[in-house]
Amino acid sequence: MTRKFALMTCFIFGLVMFVQYFSNHPTAKLLNQSILEYWQIIFAFTLIVGIAGFIMNSVRELREGESKIYKLASLGGLILMPLLAMIWGIKADTPFTWIFENVQVPLQATVFSLLAFFVASASFRGFRARSIPAGILLASAIIILISRSSIPGFQFDFLTDFANWLRSNPAMAARRGILIGIGLGSVTTSLRVILGIERTWLGGK
Amino acid sequence: MKNLLPRHYVFLGLFVLTALVMSLNIKLDVEVSENTKRLYGFIDSLPENSYLIVSFDHEASSIPEIKPIATALLKHAFSKGHKLIGLSLFSEGTLIGYRLMSEIGREYDRKYGQDYVYLGFKPQYIAAILSMGESIPKTFPKDYLGNKYSDIPILSGIENYDDVSAVLSIADGSLTTHWIEYAGMRYNIAVVAGVAAAMVTTYDPYLEAGQMHSMIGGLRGAAEYEKMLGYDGGGARAMLAQTTAHLYVILMIIIGNVIYFRNRKKGIS
Repeated sequence: MTRKFALMTCFIFGLVMFVQYFSNHPTAKLLNQSILEYWQIIFAFTLIVGIAGFIMNSVRELREGESKIYKLASLGGLILMPLLAMIWGIKADTPFTWIFENVQVPLQATVFSLLAFFVASASFRGFRARSIPAGILLASAIIILISRSSIPGFQFDFLTDFANWLRSNPAMAARRGILIGIGLGSVTTSLRVILGIERTWLGGK
Repeated sequence: MKNLLPRHYVFLGLFVLTALVMSLNIKLDVEVSENTKRLYGFIDSLPENSYLIVSFDHEASSIPEIKPIATALLKHAFSKGHKLIGLSLFSEGTLIGYRLMSEIGREYDRKYGQDYVYLGFKPQYIAAILSMGESIPKTFPKDYLGNKYSDIPILSGIENYDDVSAVLSIADGSLTTHWIEYAGMRYNIAVVAGVAAAMVTTYDPYLEAGQMHSMIGGLRGAAEYEKMLGYDGGGARAMLAQTTAHLYVILMIIIGNVIYFRNRKKGIS
């Protein structure tokens, strides 16, 4: 009975949202607005589920003695930040924003910056012209890198034009193929879910 | 030093070279691309007092790349006298966006509530974008500072996308796609963007198809925009580090391949 109710709800809401997209009737607009508001409310609850899952996993790993210091730091942050937000708020010049700007932002920017080092290392150790396709990929990468640089005294107009051609033709063709595939896949999956053919979201039965 | 592996020398080389180049006062000249000219032309051609939604759709990690882009675009929009409605669909971008808008607004003597406003963060970006198409006041009943929507002078008469000239998405990921697909396609609003370099090819098909009006990408895009605005900012300076890193990576690829082919010739795998 519960499964039938879930399937019916999914079918009705799927159909209603599909139909209202093509309607400018005030009732359709009101319905759309209400459903969008509920969507955001439901999303807030999924955050609670995520937080609960994170706490349970971290506590379990702490008990098992895995990466203790990291788990303690992440749990500490999870408790501290909402506490600061509840006491002093999240507006500018509060302890919450101070920690965000002086701890979280530099930490995240540092981790992101490390990518440059890993890319340099990977280019030295792994980027080899082992075959003709690999050689073409390597040459393309070098052309793109030069075209996105600016070296005093050197003009690379022909390389920039060639890099733009690479972007507008082979890269674009591949990207469009992927996008069309994603689009068709989304439509197919949506129809399967709305019509009740695809039921894995109910627990895989 | 004994325990250092080849990759550690590669790391060290990049660090030393970039630090050295950054300490020299070299000024790079960038050629302005058509994309940058198109975005500049778009913001420039809007009549004074046009409304622009500026969405800070990025995380804190991409600040070094996103800040020069956002700064250049905000400077241009403020200097042209446009009315800016700021918001964020990523929680981490919320405060960063507010700080940037306030800082640059002050620079151009713009007043909060009259010339610009910051609506803050809304979770679930697709729902938020669609919801704003129906009603912005219902999506954001209060601004970031807690003022009621109806009490903010700049927002009087702003009901949905029909009352706004364009959406400017400043993103480090794929969130601009949702602005294009849901706000652009469904509600017919122009979408322009300033995105991280890694995302440029993701948006190329939308740009070519005309679904996105124009965009600038990465530090190069920021440097080009700064050149058009006539100032040297974070983009121009960071281009120095980026160019150095690019040339270093090319050098590493060449050295790596020379070693590879030499070893292959000798029969070493």
